Amino acid sequence: MLIIKTFALALFMLLLSGLCQARMLVDQFGRSVEVPERPQRVVALAPSITEVIYALGRQEVLKGTTQYSDDPPEAKNLPRVGSYVRLDIEKIIALKPDLCLAIKDGNPLHAVTRLEKLGIPVYVVDPRNLEGISKMITGLGEVLNAAGQAGKITKEMQARAALIAARIAPSTSRPRVFFQIDASPIVSAGRGTFIDELITLAGGHNLAAGANGYPRFSWEDVLRLDPEVAIVASMAGGFSVADLKAGWQRWPTITAVKNHRLHVIDASLVDRPTPRLLDGLEVFARIIHPEIFGAPLAN
Amino acid sequence: MTAVTVRGLNLFYGQRQILRQVELTVAVGEFLVIIGPNGTGKTSLLKAMAGLLPAAGEVLILGQPLASYGRRKLARELAVVPQLTPSDFPFTVAETVLMGRSPHLSLLELEGAEDHRLARQAMEFTEVAHLANRHLDELSGGERQRVTIARAICQGPRVILLDEPTASLDPAHQVRIMDLLEQLRRQQGMTVIMVSHDLNLAAMYGGRLALMHEGRISAVGCPAEVLTVDRLEACYGCRMEVVRTQPGGLLRVHPLAAGQTG
Amino acid sequence: MRPLLIEGWSLGRRLALAVLLLSGLLALAFLLGISLGSSPIAFPEVLDILTGRGAVDPTTAAIVREIRLPRVLLAAVTGATLALGGLVFQALLRNPLAEPYILGISGGSAIGAIVGMLAGLAPFPGVTATAFAGSILVLLLLLMLSGRGMLAGRDALLLGGVMLNAFCGAVIMFLISLSSREEVQHIIFWLMGDLSMFTPAQLPLLAGVLPSFVLILALARPMNLMLLGRDNAAALGVNVRLVTALLLFATTLMVSLVVCQAGLIGFVGLVIPHVLRLLFGSDHRLLAPASILGGASYLILCDLLARSLPAQGEMPVGIVTALVGAPLFIFLLWRARR
Repeated sequence: MLIIKTFALALFMLLLSGLCQARMLVDQFGRSVEVPERPQRVVALAPSITEVIYALGRQEVLKGTTQYSDDPPEAKNLPRVGSYVRLDIEKIIALKPDLCLAIKDGNPLHAVTRLEKLGIPVYVVDPRNLEGISKMITGLGEVLNAAGQAGKITKEMQARAALIAARIAPSTSRPRVFFQIDASPIVSAGRGTFIDELITLAGGHNLAAGANGYPRFSWEDVLRLDPEVAIVASMAGGFSVADLKAGWQRWPTITAVKNHRLHVIDASLVDRPTPRLLDGLEVFARIIHPEIFGAPLAN
Repeated sequence: MTAVTVRGLNLFYGQRQILRQVELTVAVGEFLVIIGPNGTGKTSLLKAMAGLLPAAGEVLILGQPLASYGRRKLARELAVVPQLTPSDFPFTVAETVLMGRSPHLSLLELEGAEDHRLARQAMEFTEVAHLANRHLDELSGGERQRVTIARAICQGPRVILLDEPTASLDPAHQVRIMDLLEQLRRQQGMTVIMVSHDLNLAAMYGGRLALMHEGRISAVGCPAEVLTVDRLEACYGCRMEVVRTQPGGLLRVHPLAAGQTG
Repeated sequence: MRPLLIEGWSLGRRLALAVLLLSGLLALAFLLGISLGSSPIAFPEVLDILTGRGAVDPTTAAIVREIRLPRVLLAAVTGATLALGGLVFQALLRNPLAEPYILGISGGSAIGAIVGMLAGLAPFPGVTATAFAGSILVLLLLLMLSGRGMLAGRDALLLGGVMLNAFCGAVIMFLISLSSREEVQHIIFWLMGDLSMFTPAQLPLLAGVLPSFVLILALARPMNLMLLGRDNAAALGVNVRLVTALLLFATTLMVSLVVCQAGLIGFVGLVIPHVLRLLFGSDHRLLAPASILGGASYLILCDLLARSLPAQGEMPVGIVTALVGAPLFIFLLWRARR
């Protein structure tokens, strides 16, 4: 009799927990967040999160996002809630979300706190490197009930990265690479950035790795560093491709210029923490080790 | 009781001594004009009498030491008419004159019917009543001075101090102002102490003159006593001609150019 | 400048008219500020939410109570403080170009705010506290520089303040040169006035301006007299040193309190007193309460424009006050010269 009662009680508790509309998940910022079982109205607070939601195939629950969320193009039709550094709390509330997805380096913490005080759960992701992106996709997959698709994407990401790592491994050369993000002043990407990670994984030596974040350089610094490969993000400083190249070609003593290893790439390949970074990795691999991967495709 | 008594007054501005052991007594109902060259301390003496500059020595206003007066109480007995009235934020004539009633009102008190009546009276006396709603910067210099005097009258003082009130006025207005002051003196027993550059006006209206030289009073007395050629030359450093227009009549003083003998 | 309205009216009547008109304007601005925004809310619904009766949509209620109401309150208090502060400084310094930032409050609070932002502090209480500390420190510096002469002569005050502001400007530029792109955007918004960072938790702070309001209103008549010049005011019974000190500290305190929360919003303290003077005359017993009401209305409306005009996001409210205020000021100058 006691066994049956205990069993009935356990079944009842199980049913009850199933009926509960929320579950406790730990987000990438280490906080416990009470997330709805099946989120129906989600607001994404960064363009990268929007991109991942589409990749997971869960865009029908996405009701609003921030400015500049234009990948994929359908996302342009979503209502805007401000920019990811200046969120419009009023617009977010007006969309009646049952969940908001925020990004750690970008969304201001006080905005997240404000939303939570108003009763809206906020799940924070923190994709600070390729591994972090995988974790973000897995986490968002769990939150949005798309674990299967999430698993597929992360497996593919890991396979592509592993392939490149395997083909680089035998080679000992690590060319000196300088990546230019901005012009006037010249800004590069140092330790802790995606670009640094991609350069390293692609078998290069990032000349800006001496500093954290996004250090500035003068042309004198660049001359002294003498990169063997120079990669420039398109639209750096608002200059045209021709002007950006001309900037480098003023200094024919730089090895990269002498050997015509000056490449302009589409900035969007490397500026968002999404699976597209793998495309960027592959581009970098061709640029840095053409002897292994084949010549880079025309920019 | 005198109107103003000054004893042993010394004033320093940094290291410079502006007033040296000044002694002066002004009787009630007197018209005293303080004369002397520039920089001799005339304005400073006036300000010291009004408590506007901190001077060492003794100043008695209506028999009481200056230090014993509260600011507002002093303002009810003694009014100061400056040379110029600034007009960056022009008030109307009526508003300006009414400000003279401030020493009689507590901080939050509004002007009452009596205050308005007194202001009107003062404006009529100085003949600016028709300008009541005009703004100060619309008026001529002479009109503005009369407004300031009306404001001073509103304070209901027994002593009025004026710093070169006619300096920037044309002769007609100069005389008008001086007549007004003389009227105040005669009709209301007001004591008038005035600083002036104009020796002729001083001679015309002053009951007594006080001649200042290098921070001291070098002579005090009726115009005929003070305005002598030698005294004036010693003070002003230039030779002057002193003439009586007719026996027992007005004194006229003119400076002489070098070479002139008069 | 002469009053456009009501020549020859007594002070009491003019005061009543001014308070009536401006209170009405403030009530209207208040209602508009709460009803309009990213989505318009009908007046009746707004009233229901404010009075707490009727069945209201919880989302709308949240928007009104948690977001719009605090923001409109901040705009009102900030506008009132800046206008009153401008009025006081114009009287104290006898200068029609004076405005509340002229004695270094802008430079000091900006440096404090930027330091707080670069240190990664939250807008409240972190950046608010550093901004407040910055402006108070600059005031103390000004006191030390001008010395005793400060309370005696207006020129020492003015010169010291202008120089401090200039120096602070250089420091600000230096700090900006060290900042990342995103930090620079935050800083720019703060420098131009930003009411969007306000949280309901900050509301009690706003009450801190009330003692200053009361003190300044009480000193309205001495302010009139101070405009006659230091000596004349003293001759009329004003304790010039005491009044100057009280007005200076009261104003600096209240302006610092709003600036540290709303950033540097310009043209309110400069323009509103002049507009009111043009309408109602120069008596500060009228201008002081009028500035409070007028400044509050003006900033609520400007903030409404700042939120509604841009297609995306919002402009810093300081841009609107400048775009509206500068032509207005030029118009006033032109009128004055006729």
